[in-house]
Amino acid sequence: MLDYLNSMRAALRFPGYLPQPVTAKGVNQWMKQFDPSDRRLVGRLLRSVIYLSEAKIKRILLEQNGALMRRLATAGLPPQNLIYVQVHDAGSSSPVMLNMLRDAAGLEQRGCRFLDANNTLGLNAMTNDLGEGALIYVDDFVGTGTQFCEARDFAAKFIEGTFSEFLLVPSICEEGIYLLGERGIEAFTGHVHSKAERPLHDNSTLFDPGTKQRLIEICEQIDPIMALGFRRIAAMVVLYRNAPDNIPILFRGNETQMPFSGIFPRTTDLPLAEVGI
Amino acid sequence: MADLKPNTHQPLNVVPAGTLRKLSPDEIKPSANNPRFLFDDAPLQELKKNIAAHGVLVPLTVYQAKGQTKFSILDGERRYRCVVDLTKSGHLGADKRPLLLPANIVEPPTKIAGLLYMFSIHNFREGWELMPTALSLKIVMEELGEADNTALSKLTGLSEPQIERCKKLIDLPERFQKLSLDPDPKTRIPSNFWIESAPVLDFAVEEIPTLRQLGRNRSTDKLVEKYRAKRIKSVIHFRRIMDAYDMSEDDGDTRRKVLRRVEEYFLKPELETRAAFDEFVVEMRRTRTALAECEEFVARLQKLKLRYLADDTERANLRDALRNVRIFCMALEQSLRGTDDPDSLSE
Repeated sequence: MLDYLNSMRAALRFPGYLPQPVTAKGVNQWMKQFDPSDRRLVGRLLRSVIYLSEAKIKRILLEQNGALMRRLATAGLPPQNLIYVQVHDAGSSSPVMLNMLRDAAGLEQRGCRFLDANNTLGLNAMTNDLGEGALIYVDDFVGTGTQFCEARDFAAKFIEGTFSEFLLVPSICEEGIYLLGERGIEAFTGHVHSKAERPLHDNSTLFDPGTKQRLIEICEQIDPIMALGFRRIAAMVVLYRNAPDNIPILFRGNETQMPFSGIFPRTTDLPLAEVGI
Repeated sequence: MADLKPNTHQPLNVVPAGTLRKLSPDEIKPSANNPRFLFDDAPLQELKKNIAAHGVLVPLTVYQAKGQTKFSILDGERRYRCVVDLTKSGHLGADKRPLLLPANIVEPPTKIAGLLYMFSIHNFREGWELMPTALSLKIVMEELGEADNTALSKLTGLSEPQIERCKKLIDLPERFQKLSLDPDPKTRIPSNFWIESAPVLDFAVEEIPTLRQLGRNRSTDKLVEKYRAKRIKSVIHFRRIMDAYDMSEDDGDTRRKVLRRVEEYFLKPELETRAAFDEFVVEMRRTRTALAECEEFVARLQKLKLRYLADDTERANLRDALRNVRIFCMALEQSLRGTDDPDSLSE
């Protein structure tokens, strides 16, 4: 009974997860994959997940964009000189974030411009046309920042004129902030995901060493390479559209969800039949 | 062909006078161009040693783009890089505090001034990805109404051959330019592909009826297809085709055979460049002859003991002749640059 209540409570915390809805039954089934002696630890880790629902993401993007636009207006840059750039890194929801922001903030009506970072000729022509302004990259989540910076570094060679650069992102890991800072790109974000708030990260002391070690062992049993996610970031942020590839593997499950199924599988983790193909 | 009008542009006032401040590296935004590729390591190490001992003595020139908290560098990227590296390694200044950079803060540069600075950075490195440079050169040409290679060379610091190469890229149809702008290096067509293939296309489309009918762009597509199929293992191999073509100039039969092979090469995606043209290339023998000629030329001049010529006219004549030799040799040396190593394809 207590288990079921815990599952109910967990499911209520993650409304609207898109690749696969999180239900009480689903949480319960997911939990049952673990040894009974480990379930309490896994439940504790699940409670540390930072979930960003669609409503929350929209609010963050709108607020941060408002603050950025006000700052740029004060600096003498009207909306017509702002170029919003979507960045396609693997698994990114950047275009979705940009569309959401564009519609909610009326960016098109205000005269802002839009571009895909891959369209380098377009970037060259647009920045040359404007001469000065701001480039505002929009993404859903930045982990190490490597993928974002690779896309940006390639595009940046084609910028003409004087442009300041910003990143609008609902959540970003502290590693990403550092990498962006090296390039002079300022992040406008609702949440900086510190290493300390990631229980399985080397630099976190949130969990006692025994608990942490056992949870890492469980992850390594599921997938020794991706145990703590891409580059062992051990991120705890889950966005309503998709979980980042940096979260501990016990949340995502194996590819095609076999033999271990996750509670927050990424769209690409699901078997084809379940994503309607 | 560049026209011969003289360069009438005055040097641009790139850097207006500004205020001097001491900035920490954190307050500065590096150039958007990847600095790992920009500077030779040895001189940079020397500069770093100097800065470690004495600090930064010559101020950087920086500006603040609108809305940005950090300062962008107009001049002094190398000094900045050194200080960043020293700071990362825990080096402190003579006052036992983190190193600071003296910087003249100026107004943001005009578009042209910014572009010219960008050129000064790109010039640090041979083989820099040429497409961004070409697009920037196009803007300089449009803004200043200047097309003359010599004038553009003076303005940008690019060599005239570099400008000629950039112009080839500028003249490409947009769909081909985009292939060199692919963010994924695995699928990107290197800018050199267009430059090295241009002379082949020039003669092939003019002299081979099938390719003339196909047109230059569709013939180019054939080469792209071949490149993607990895049947052009190095873009430098296009030179073998040119070599085969040039060497058959006085031999009608061989020329016809070369043209037939070129046609086949374009139309059969699986035919690899070296496999197709190596039989025509007598490069090694010619190279050996040229090497011997070079040695003999230098030896003969040394033997003539010309250093103390007294006659003014004779000296002037000889200097003119040597200058011509130098120009020829430099141009030849420049055109021989590049590598046959397929691994060095990614610029």
